Amino acid sequence: MPLQYYMEKLYLDEAEVESRRHFFEITADDLTRLAGLHSFAEKHTDDIVEDLYRLILGHPEAKKQFTEHATLVRVKQAQRDYFLGLFSGRCDLAYVQDRLRIGIAHERVGVPPKWYLGAYARYLRSIFDRIAVELPDAAQARAAYQSIEKLVAFDTALAMDTYIAAQLGALERHQAAIRELSTPIIRLYQQVLLLPLIGTIDTHRADQLMEAVLLKVVEEQAHVIIIDIAGVPLVDTKVADHLLKTTEAVRLLGAQTILSGISPIIAKTIVNLGMNISAMHTKSRLAEALELAFEIIGKRVTSIAKNHPAAAAEATEKS
Amino acid sequence: MSAHGSIPVLRIGSTLLASIQVELRDTIADAFQEDILQTIAKTGATGLVIDITGLEMVDSYVARVLTNTGRMATLMGTHAVVVGMQPVVAATLVRMGFRMEGVLTALNVDAGLALVSELIARRHGAGQ
Amino acid sequence: MTILSSENLILASEDDVMLARRKVRLLAETLGFDPFTVAAITTATSELCRNVCVHAVKGTARLEQIGSGGRTGIRLEVRDEGPGIADIDRVLSAGQRSVGSLGLGLSGSRRLADEFRIETIVGRGTVVTVVKWKRPA
Repeated sequence: MPLQYYMEKLYLDEAEVESRRHFFEITADDLTRLAGLHSFAEKHTDDIVEDLYRLILGHPEAKKQFTEHATLVRVKQAQRDYFLGLFSGRCDLAYVQDRLRIGIAHERVGVPPKWYLGAYARYLRSIFDRIAVELPDAAQARAAYQSIEKLVAFDTALAMDTYIAAQLGALERHQAAIRELSTPIIRLYQQVLLLPLIGTIDTHRADQLMEAVLLKVVEEQAHVIIIDIAGVPLVDTKVADHLLKTTEAVRLLGAQTILSGISPIIAKTIVNLGMNISAMHTKSRLAEALELAFEIIGKRVTSIAKNHPAAAAEATEKS
Repeated sequence: MSAHGSIPVLRIGSTLLASIQVELRDTIADAFQEDILQTIAKTGATGLVIDITGLEMVDSYVARVLTNTGRMATLMGTHAVVVGMQPVVAATLVRMGFRMEGVLTALNVDAGLALVSELIARRHGAGQ
Repeated sequence: MTILSSENLILASEDDVMLARRKVRLLAETLGFDPFTVAAITTATSELCRNVCVHAVKGTARLEQIGSGGRTGIRLEVRDEGPGIADIDRVLSAGQRSVGSLGLGLSGSRRLADEFRIETIVGRGTVVTVVKWKRPA
């Protein structure tokens, strides 16, 4: 997924970044302090990044991520840029975009959150060891320490949000795939469609069903669509209302709807709730619905004299 | 052939075919209704097919004009069929709660003409 | 909620109604709304703007692109200084058989919109606001 996707999913605009900065208590002073540490950071970038990779490469499972030397060189460079980014003195929308790009790259290659967090903890230790040396004044060191920690927490939140958004995105795609599977409109015969409904029908699904049915009827120029509700566990007033709406919309297109699979329970519900579904053709069994569909398109299912194989063979012998 | 605004009305045998190709404004919709009824009176047309394939949007006003035109034509003894409604239009009208009661529909012009012929033939058959 | 763009329109004639619904359609299509949602908001626009021209003679519309919680939407506020609506509940629950076009225009727009608000004062005018959100892909 591209950067824009995550920016939208996480509602990241100027206002949101401002709100986050406020919550993480990142002040202009913090950013100035961090910018002031830039030369310190530059001096130590290489050994801090090397230190990080000693941790990663020393871990059998984490190491597997970097089997190729080229990959390692590339990610180390990215890591240096990332590290120096902490001391850029910025924490604006552009900064957030930079951070997200890295999070997205991690997610894409499958770096799990545990390594991300573990690596970040190591980062902090490495930085603090060196700050303690660099800034002998305890108050100064403490201020630097706090500014760094704030920005690191800010970054961590973005990384976690990216992971979660990626997972939710995958879930949404799966749900869409399932929805698509749940609206299988089959062409049974020329001008005859079948929609076998299975599972619960809520308003959201009913809306989608109606649209899918209408598009398919026009696409196939179908005269009849059979909606079989044998697989729908519950038909209440709402569901019946949706079915009626779909029937009316199909009629407006110039086609007809037959509702089949009306079980005794559904028939009872419809009558007891006083629903008026007289506008619909209804049948208990799909076979009957199909016969009606044929009738509507001017065809008929008839029985023909069936040739028994043995009788046919005898007839051939005699002739 | 007569036209009001951009709505041509063709005669095919004893059936009128009106194809609405442009977005309808209220005044043109009203004029269209008037034109259709006058043409039916003048020609004694027994069938009317209104093709709305070209309409991407039909609001309640236009839907009412179409429905009423169909019903008025029926009162004048003309079988009226509205054909070619787009899926988005059907969905929108149904969601609004609009019912085009008393008007026949068909998928396309061919199906509409066939339906009109069948109804005319049936009426003649019943009259004998 | 953030307003990302907005435009003011005058509603005094049939041409203004046509223009308003064309603008709404164009905006919805540009924002990548699906065809069913485009039809819904365009139709609601047509109903509300026509009501102004028919019942209040003239008014204004404000068309906005809005964003909220990662969603993109269109908000249309239609305002007139007409007679107002005395029995709002009856008009809103009315079907197409109600007298005049006001009934289905308003109740239909409400059914088509994701959010609907109406404020009316008899003798002062009416403000109707509808919102339609872009559906997730």
